[in-house]
Amino acid sequence: MLEASVLALQRSLVDAALMADAGPLERDPAGFAAGRGLPPGDQAAFVRFKDRLLVYRDPVRADLAEPVETICFVSRALLEQAGLWDECLAAFLASRGVRSAFYRDLAASFLGWLATTGWGRERWPFLLQLVHFELLNVLVAHHPGGDPPAGLHPRPALGDRLVLEVPTQVVTYQYQVHLATVQAPVPAPGTTHLLAYRDGTGLPQWLELTPATASLLLRAQQTSIGQAALDLGLTDLSEAVELLAQCQAKGAILGFAGTIPR
Amino acid sequence: MGSSGHSGPFTGVGLGLRHPHFAAVARGNPGVPFWEIAPENVLGDGGHEHDTVCRILERDPVLTHGLGLSVGGFDPFDPEYLEQLAGFLAFTGSPWHSEHLCFSSVDGSTTHELLPMPMTRAAVRHTIRRARELQDRLPVPFLLENITYYAELGEKELAEPEFLAEILDGADVGWLLDINNIYVNAINFGFDPKDWLLRVPLDRVVQMHIAGHDRVGELVIDTHGAPVIDPVIELMRWVLPRIGRPVPVLLERDNDIPDLEELLAERAAIQEAYDDVMAVPAAQASHA
Repeated sequence: MLEASVLALQRSLVDAALMADAGPLERDPAGFAAGRGLPPGDQAAFVRFKDRLLVYRDPVRADLAEPVETICFVSRALLEQAGLWDECLAAFLASRGVRSAFYRDLAASFLGWLATTGWGRERWPFLLQLVHFELLNVLVAHHPGGDPPAGLHPRPALGDRLVLEVPTQVVTYQYQVHLATVQAPVPAPGTTHLLAYRDGTGLPQWLELTPATASLLLRAQQTSIGQAALDLGLTDLSEAVELLAQCQAKGAILGFAGTIPR
Repeated sequence: MGSSGHSGPFTGVGLGLRHPHFAAVARGNPGVPFWEIAPENVLGDGGHEHDTVCRILERDPVLTHGLGLSVGGFDPFDPEYLEQLAGFLAFTGSPWHSEHLCFSSVDGSTTHELLPMPMTRAAVRHTIRRARELQDRLPVPFLLENITYYAELGEKELAEPEFLAEILDGADVGWLLDINNIYVNAINFGFDPKDWLLRVPLDRVVQMHIAGHDRVGELVIDTHGAPVIDPVIELMRWVLPRIGRPVPVLLERDNDIPDLEELLAERAAIQEAYDDVMAVPAAQASHA
């Protein structure tokens, strides 16, 4: 299978670009190639073009890092303060964790890599949640949406169940990740419920929710608003209905479906 | 997505449609005969900007140019993505779809970079099979684009013109001739770009790309981050009559993207050069 020689060369170039330490190729290009099963002719080419093969490291690594650095800028600030951002990125790139042909999925790949490897978790137990929150804004802004169900009406009644806009997310964190900034990137501990949604201009927004409101928003998608409120022990139903109307006006709730058959 | 059904005109000098210009272009076409868009930047996306770009794609003539199929790679093509791509091609009405003669993924992991193929007979056979497969699975003619490369990957068995010609002929696909890539490679490898162009099947050219580049140390890098320089425009002027047809030329700009007005002025200058050379009878011009 001569095509195997093509694959071996491709693997070698990607290794050269993504391995955390370029030293092996810099010091011994023939050995680098030989170690990857390449024959003497290819080894000679690696010797001849060593410096130019190394040129690929910059664009490959910059392309893969750019969306992560742009989207996860608070997490980046956190790790830069500790002098570990480059190390974190290098470990991510070396993992070959980017599987999607869609460039926009890169930051999600980074999140997946953090979740899988637990990188930095011991020192920063909130890191995964911080990256998740930073990514959440992008996911909400760019969510492709879907076909809205028919027959919704704009004002809630107690017998209705609510239908969220497709991009809307109700999320819970164990840290106040939404308050972290580049200047103060360490979030305080504390259970935090957020409603992330896309406003009328297409921008991602979030609202901090009480635990009861978060539960209502989740439960009232499955059962009637009145029943959900009762289940949660909410006595002031008019307040709940008013809150839902406000969420609908902001663009977080698509509408309200008629009475659920019992 | 519905279907825009635009059939052209696909001649003259078009412009790559880029994110910073979406809003301005959506307000009205500023005299650009056609746009080019990467499906990967639209498919599966949503939200305000997505809606904006879709309005442009519905309204104006568009060519599609892919970034992520890794034509020379070994990972199987994703059937779900190809289905989405086919729908996108129908939506835009693009008369063909182009990709790069390169690989970008290995063992399921993607680099999002256009990496050079080994110039070997095995790579030719492999790429022909892959390009034919794509041609069979796409609803429009498929084109391959010659890329910039900075190093030869492994021991070379074929010169680049022969490598390219064998793949284009073997796969029976069209050629997206990137004139800047040829110029950049000529500088970096020390060959004459006109000699190079005389050794390739110009009858397979369906579209051209033109772009700017930057010098980084001893190398010229295909950054798409600077205006097109005069020698590259001259090379375009030299090759167009030899192609003998008014193939569309697309101005690419992907980095340090200037204001739309500045880019439109650059496009207009290249269009002027294009019109100038097209006004001369082909036989006369190709002897210039």
